[in-house]
Amino acid sequence: MSSENKTIKFDALIVGAGIAGGEAALNLANSGYKVLLVEKERSIGGKMILLSKVFPTLDCSACITTPKVSEIARHKNITIFTESEVTDISKTADNDFIAHITKKPRYVHVEDCTACQLCEKACPVSVRDQYQYGLIGRKAAFIPFSIANPKAAAIDIENCTLCGACEKVCPTSCIDFTMETEYFELHAKTVIMASGFSLFDPLEIPRYGYERYKNVITSMQMEREIAPTRPYNTILRPGDGKVPDKIAYVLCVGSRDQTVGNPICSQICCMYSIKQAQLLMGALPMADVTIYYINIRSFGKGFEEFYQQAKGMGVNFVKGKVGKISELENGNLILRYEDISEGVVKEAEHDMVVLSVGAKSNPSVANIFQEGRLKFDPYNFIAQSDLMGSPSKTSIEGVFVAGTATGPMDIPDSILSAGSASSDAISYLIQHETV
Amino acid sequence: MKRLGVYICHCGGNISDYVDVEEVRKAVEHEEGVVLAKTTMFACSDSNQNDMVSDIKKHKLDGVVVASCSPKLHLVTFRNVTERGDLNKYTYVHANIREQASWAHSDDKQGATGKAIHLVKAAIAKSRYAEPLYPNQIEAEKTIAVIGAGIAGLKAAASISDKNINVILIEKENRVGGHAAELGDLFMSDEKGYDLVNRVYNDIVQRENVTILTGSEVISSKGSIGDFTLKIRKRPQNAGDPVETMEIKVGSMVVATGFESYIPKEGEFDYVVNENVIALPEFKLLVDKSTGDRLIYKGKTIKNIVYIYCVGSRQNEGGNTYCSRFCCTSVIHTSIEAKKKFKNIYNIHLNRGIRTYGKQELLYAESLKMGDIYLQFDQTTPPEITSNGKNSIVTVTDILSEGKKMSVEADLIVLVTGMVPRSDQSVGTMLKIPKGRDKFYNEVHIKLRPVETVIDGITIAGACQGPKNISESVNSALSAATKSFSYVSKGTLETEPIIAVINEDSCSWCGKCLEACPFDAIEKRNVNSREIAVVNSSVCKGCGMCAPVCPPDAINLIGYRNEEIISMIDVLA
Repeated sequence: MSSENKTIKFDALIVGAGIAGGEAALNLANSGYKVLLVEKERSIGGKMILLSKVFPTLDCSACITTPKVSEIARHKNITIFTESEVTDISKTADNDFIAHITKKPRYVHVEDCTACQLCEKACPVSVRDQYQYGLIGRKAAFIPFSIANPKAAAIDIENCTLCGACEKVCPTSCIDFTMETEYFELHAKTVIMASGFSLFDPLEIPRYGYERYKNVITSMQMEREIAPTRPYNTILRPGDGKVPDKIAYVLCVGSRDQTVGNPICSQICCMYSIKQAQLLMGALPMADVTIYYINIRSFGKGFEEFYQQAKGMGVNFVKGKVGKISELENGNLILRYEDISEGVVKEAEHDMVVLSVGAKSNPSVANIFQEGRLKFDPYNFIAQSDLMGSPSKTSIEGVFVAGTATGPMDIPDSILSAGSASSDAISYLIQHETV
Repeated sequence: MKRLGVYICHCGGNISDYVDVEEVRKAVEHEEGVVLAKTTMFACSDSNQNDMVSDIKKHKLDGVVVASCSPKLHLVTFRNVTERGDLNKYTYVHANIREQASWAHSDDKQGATGKAIHLVKAAIAKSRYAEPLYPNQIEAEKTIAVIGAGIAGLKAAASISDKNINVILIEKENRVGGHAAELGDLFMSDEKGYDLVNRVYNDIVQRENVTILTGSEVISSKGSIGDFTLKIRKRPQNAGDPVETMEIKVGSMVVATGFESYIPKEGEFDYVVNENVIALPEFKLLVDKSTGDRLIYKGKTIKNIVYIYCVGSRQNEGGNTYCSRFCCTSVIHTSIEAKKKFKNIYNIHLNRGIRTYGKQELLYAESLKMGDIYLQFDQTTPPEITSNGKNSIVTVTDILSEGKKMSVEADLIVLVTGMVPRSDQSVGTMLKIPKGRDKFYNEVHIKLRPVETVIDGITIAGACQGPKNISESVNSALSAATKSFSYVSKGTLETEPIIAVINEDSCSWCGKCLEACPFDAIEKRNVNSREIAVVNSSVCKGCGMCAPVCPPDAINLIGYRNEEIISMIDVLA
């Protein structure tokens, strides 16, 4: 395999092209360094590009993300590998990291694709759309999402039947089934890990009935329902397409919960739930929205005011942990919860339930560095070796960490963390410059 | 006649939910000079940007108008698009139909659409007159001033110095380290606050490119990005020594002036009037400094400690409405330390919902495990302090137990106070840094430009922007350092060509423009033995305040000349 490796050289390798990785890449590139940005998805922009509006300013997320993404994509000092994974990294000298990268084939020549979507129409295969978090389907030949970057078709080869329909209709002949996986050996002087987080899988808590009950969805699914590029163009409960009018949010799903091995607080769920509640009140003025919480953690700049604003708009806040959800015949849901202010166990009926799932570590980076040299914390986030003095430093000199790869974080904190990591990386590059 | 292309953005519904964008398109497509009028889901998306570039070339456009969000967000984005289409980027004209039409008139779709049509037509009118402009090149001083030598300022200085740029670190006090230097044990760290400060200080103090000025204050600032001149006054070290003043030239500034601890008013939860009541910083100091196996305060052995949370934070409108973010974790950490260090400590936390976000939650879990008691009160029914003659009694209505009233005898009452902005905001006022609702300094955009201020070349770091713990302050400091570094690292800077120009023949110096200028960019000068106003082009921000106040109409704003503005007014009228 190594004989097929193409050798490439960059100043910096950045693992993950979400908002933190992208910000770090721009900082380095603007300082004149050549950056390789490696992303495992088909588009850069991470989770943020898929969000609706963002707290506490209610800026439209796409409006902030797409121009950033566009700046990253066309920066002359940044090279992007999508659908690629860094399989291993080793440090050979103070100033030299060697990484192996696997770049999967897209089966589409991106530079020739006009995103006309004819292949999408022609493709006979339908599967769940992961970028809409399973709310609707997509084809096996598809454009990941309308504001994806690169905006080009891709072939989902695992579900493709190789019928060739897409190839026949493609006006630019950019579909190419002969494309193969490429392997690269990268030499870089520094590495920034911006590998992000993963969402808690609510199937781990069967008593909430996720997937068994059609009208129980995750907060990320609700995020898609209210995003500009939303799947239904309105807010519906997936079970029967009814517009919901009594929506419940269950907070701390998979966070602050030792029973699922995650005792820490995800620090974003309170705020995104409050934000979604505000947006729902705007979109469905007649709807009731109730948030079941343990503590509301609105701690950032403008957050507490945002929480008070939601209360003022009429969002119900109920202090109580939801024990169990059950389903009625009409698809409505009964929440059994402890109402802490009254000290009694109560039941409430809602027609849609949103599980505010927490942020967990991204497991895919656990073994990238040889011999376990990169240290992790007990929750498998990348450990910060000098949290107070240099929060982006890791257990390996020259390897820095940005954004939620170190732990749950909101967008403003992720961006500051990316600024910090790129600052330390630039200093490292300058200090190790060989004349 | 110019060939114009017009793009009307849906903004994914932000605009098109209230403004009929197709209606707008139809209304403007036959305007004079318009050869192309399109609607687009996201004008700022990469794919649309590419379409625009190819449209410019294909249709030989020589002017582009995008009707979308506020120019604050995307003026630069679309200027760059037109530049990639080989047009002069300053010929681009932006129409804001989101903040000014769809959002402002979401209750009146027809009216919003009508207004959007007017705004786009006005932009088209301006576009016909728009001229190519060229940015000014200026030299950037390769020195950065960091104002404030708390942990944020120290780290910012270290980071800039690491990047081979000279730093001048200016501190008002006679020592560096700010609040962190007073702290012993820190949460989430094994290092003491003063050890952390010493570590960072010792790292930079000997460096050739770092100058540390303690006991010093910036008393005036002149100039603009790339070329600021600061006057600094250094207090005499010994009585009788003269006051030293010096002038330095810097290309950029990092403002890291920090915060103050909220000091409760006299009588607020018995503060000052009851000697058993202290604020969090005093308690932290007491726990850090006390030795022995008992906690002694004013000669008395302390057992029961009652903590009252959110004192000076999360208040009603008119007070400090914000959450101070660090205090929950800080007090829980200190209470754990107290319990570990001293015998027979019982902690009772009267809170308004514990906010130990992220991994700090583990401290809360540890505290619960150690048997600390947490009672929660509502803001409307704060705890009351009375006395039984011997000791203070704190009574609280606990919402965690159906609103039961509970009383506890307290040996010590700790008011958990947060962060407030510096009462001395002279640095901010001098540099004209805007403040937010919470009176902390304001960033341009919390996500896009979190450490930049509206004053080019000035960044903000640490808790002067809002409450932060040490680690968060350092992240913000390093981000600000990188931003300031990027201004000066290349040695030259481009500045906007949109500035005021004075028609020397019509000007007969009356001084009205000088009064109107918020940036001190205008001065009186003698030219050809006549006194006239002269604009300093590197200081002028092109805000336009001077132009309308000039009696003989001698001031024109480049990029917004009178004929451009009048053409717009004609359309809007």
